[in-house]
Amino acid sequence: MAELTAYPLLTVLLAWPLGGALLTAIVRQRPWAGRIALSSALATLGWSLLIVVAFDPASGEFQLLDAAPWIAGLGIEYLVGVDGLSLFFLPATALIFCAAIVASWRVTASSTMPLSPGLYFALLLSFETATLGIFCALDLIVFFCFWEASLIPLYFLVSLWGIGSGRQTAAVRYFLVMLAGGVPLLFGLLTLVFGQAKGGALVFALPTLLAGALPEGTQYAVFLLLLIGFGVKVPLVPLHTWLPAMAMGAPAAITAILVGLKLGAYGLIRFAIPLAPLAARDLQWLLAGLGTLAILYGGVAALVQSNLRGVLAYSSVAHVGLVILGLSTFSASGLQGALLLLLNFSLCSGSAFLALSFLHRRTGSTDIAQLGGMIRNLPLLSGFFLFFGLAGIGLPGTLSFPAELLIIVAALHSHTGAGLAALFGTLLAAAAVLAPFGQAFLGRPRLPEQAEVDDLLPRERAVLLLPALLTVLLGVYPKPLLDWLRPAAEAWVAGLAGLL
Amino acid sequence: MNDFATLQVLAREFIDPAALVAVLPLVPLLPLLAAAILALRLAAGTEHGDAQEPLTARIALLAAIGALALLMLLDLAALFGTLPTSVVVGEWLSIGAVPIRISFIIDAYSLSSATLIALIGGLALRFSATYLHRERGFQRFFLGMSLFLAGMLLIVLAGNAVLTFVGWELAGISSWLLIAYAWERPVAVGNAQLVFLTNRVGDAGFLLGIGLAAWSLRTVDWLAMPGDGSAATVTLRLLLIGFVAAALVKSAQLPFTPWIARALEGPTPSSAVFYGSLMVHAGVYLLCRMQGLLLQVPDMMALLVLVGAATALYGGLCALVQSDVKSALVFSTVGQVGMMVAFCGSGLFWLAAVHSGVHAAWRAYQFLLAPDYMQLVGRPARPVPAWLAKNIWWYTAALQRFWLESLAHALITRPTLALGRDMRTLDAHLIDPLVGAPRNDESPLGQLAADELIRGHGLAGRLLFAFSDQVRRLEDHLLLSGDGTLMKRLQRLVDYADAVESLLEQPRYLLLMVMATFAVIL
Repeated sequence: MAELTAYPLLTVLLAWPLGGALLTAIVRQRPWAGRIALSSALATLGWSLLIVVAFDPASGEFQLLDAAPWIAGLGIEYLVGVDGLSLFFLPATALIFCAAIVASWRVTASSTMPLSPGLYFALLLSFETATLGIFCALDLIVFFCFWEASLIPLYFLVSLWGIGSGRQTAAVRYFLVMLAGGVPLLFGLLTLVFGQAKGGALVFALPTLLAGALPEGTQYAVFLLLLIGFGVKVPLVPLHTWLPAMAMGAPAAITAILVGLKLGAYGLIRFAIPLAPLAARDLQWLLAGLGTLAILYGGVAALVQSNLRGVLAYSSVAHVGLVILGLSTFSASGLQGALLLLLNFSLCSGSAFLALSFLHRRTGSTDIAQLGGMIRNLPLLSGFFLFFGLAGIGLPGTLSFPAELLIIVAALHSHTGAGLAALFGTLLAAAAVLAPFGQAFLGRPRLPEQAEVDDLLPRERAVLLLPALLTVLLGVYPKPLLDWLRPAAEAWVAGLAGLL
Repeated sequence: MNDFATLQVLAREFIDPAALVAVLPLVPLLPLLAAAILALRLAAGTEHGDAQEPLTARIALLAAIGALALLMLLDLAALFGTLPTSVVVGEWLSIGAVPIRISFIIDAYSLSSATLIALIGGLALRFSATYLHRERGFQRFFLGMSLFLAGMLLIVLAGNAVLTFVGWELAGISSWLLIAYAWERPVAVGNAQLVFLTNRVGDAGFLLGIGLAAWSLRTVDWLAMPGDGSAATVTLRLLLIGFVAAALVKSAQLPFTPWIARALEGPTPSSAVFYGSLMVHAGVYLLCRMQGLLLQVPDMMALLVLVGAATALYGGLCALVQSDVKSALVFSTVGQVGMMVAFCGSGLFWLAAVHSGVHAAWRAYQFLLAPDYMQLVGRPARPVPAWLAKNIWWYTAALQRFWLESLAHALITRPTLALGRDMRTLDAHLIDPLVGAPRNDESPLGQLAADELIRGHGLAGRLLFAFSDQVRRLEDHLLLSGDGTLMKRLQRLVDYADAVESLLEQPRYLLLMVMATFAVIL
């Protein structure tokens, strides 16, 4: 594999979807726009698997580094690389974008403007590049650029192709909230960089910054600023209201991506905690508390939603609370559990939203009060929805089982009270899956005109079957995956402990 | 004795223990595979019609018979003393330094329980192939049953708590599948949900037990768990609270009993094996497995006696006043299981184990026969005993099943839902206004009053507005005090800006601009 690593694998990875975006923007019309989009997404997926192959799992270091000078005067360079923590997000991202493209194959704009599908796919693919960039950027400024750049395609995607009259509100709200979160983020990153530049040149490269040490007071400022900045994206509880709004207003494929890829949690793992270890250590209780709050708040709020998309959105708030709780334990097994759970979201939560979009296309609604007995005509769709629901609450044989086990055991060890609350959260999560399922998919149909709809098309079946098989495969035998994560997780924990 | 020795020699010759031990994982795996095949057949949509019924039944039945045959061989080998007490197949994952292995336990209790489970499960499957003929959910039923069988076999054979928990959850989810078998009926769906959620309480307890065992005992293996008696009693007590709660829920002991009466909504064969004979004894099995730990904490044992005795009384009383045969049977089952729990509490684990085996076999027969009782029993149903009929309070309480369900509803379900509604209100009326997000009912751009260009929302928006108001006032003051030339120049600048802005308002120029900005940055 040595010869593989000599190539700029990651830069090429970023270029695949971007090239596809340019092409689809030129072609504009069906069927070629869709075909080009899908093939470039598939190429990205294949390339990301190649990166997994080229990666050396025994090392906990950053690998496959690509560097190029950018703004030399400020010490800013283009630097990308991956380690065990970020590696698996690349194929997960590529996969979820493939699924999103297939799921929006027949997309039509809901705005009155005459928009070509090519534009939709171009925006989607540029969003993919930005997302992949977030996962492999190792320079703070490059990271921040990708972070903010992901907002632009999202804004247009939601406001032009969203659902119902609330789509513009959702788009504006998302954009504003994310921009507002970007300010503390940038401020925190700059504080960090200036804090470490002792009378010398500025350094923005993450590997160098990780090796340095900040004064404890500065660490507090940096950690809190980054916590707010990433917390908006996670979303942590007082800042979460954009997610249900997006779930109601955004196109389903976009919601699937947003819910499936928890960029905020990744930011906390990659930047906030390791860059300010002393403050993170002191504020461990805050992280655990925020995680617990999200578990309980999201779990309880999901129970009273009237729309299936709202249920999934609040459940996702609760799920990500579990992730935060897992990493707040600052232990290798807690972090491993959190990463497994994040991977499971990419496979299952996103797919659950896609299944809902298939339902929406057939019935014109995901309102629980208007559905009922959907399993009669849509047995497959209902089955998949149930499976993905259960795969989010720790069904044995899916990836969430080892993930939740690791997190809860680690949490019981380090924050027993929070662990107990998480146990209660598993009850709420189960209720939030089964109660809406029982009302919307079982029982008698409430509206007779919904009776005659066809079950899943072959392409829809494929989009749902692949993640289902993957989560089962990884859930039944998680050991290889855990072994891949272990060196990086242990390095992460050692980095926290070493500075104490 | 001589014969036995000859048999032993013969058995050693014909049964290779190493090979037997190697196929042990197949025992729970076979029904699991059957379930997977049935699920894939369902997903592929090839299951429709009567013609597919025999194949479905055959797949499930073959798996059960295969498991049973393997278990019989193992029984033989164990009888002649050629098997190790535990088998480790490999490492599954590890929690910190605590490895979680795929391991199985082979002793008299686990083997006899597993054999009984495979036998009763196989019989029930064979029974259902006829009983459910031409039912729409035929395939679904066999999927649920196979999954359940795999779960139960895993519970009794697993060598560590995590693997047992996997079986525990599989049994729980398959019971949901089978209670909601008649999904058109909202009552069935509601009952399935209630049963699953109650069972989930036990699952949470199980997880608590696993977690505490992992970091206080440094092991989750059943055989290693009792330790050397050096573990602190406080930790042990906490740990046992988790496991005992799990056992009490699964075995429908007080105060969790109500779920089992609701669970009878499923088809008769599944009620027979789940709540009549097999699943309801899983809790007793767990308690017996925990005996090394339980014996170290006497107050936990006392609690078990108390709960078991109370449940035995409760089950007995409620069984007397039931008007249908399945409910009467299930309450007397609960009563019997209560006695087993009490036995465990008094240290008579062997008695509980024997009782559970005999009881499981007998109840399976009774439940499967239940639909035929109308024909089989010539005389009218026995009336409520006179002493109970006379005592109006006890009679009402038994009829109402001591109001346990209403109590749970009032104390748990309703407050939780009310809390959920409060949070929804909180989101809409406190957090949104504070953050300043526009509400869903108003468009951000349309419907603005004539004189305002944009509108601020919430606390953040208002603050920003007040600030910009002050700035505008300051500007006005500065500009108006000048002689006007500044005004004119500014006006021209504003005209240009307007023109540029109107161009920018068109999406393509805005995109271009964004790209240009990026080009500059890069």
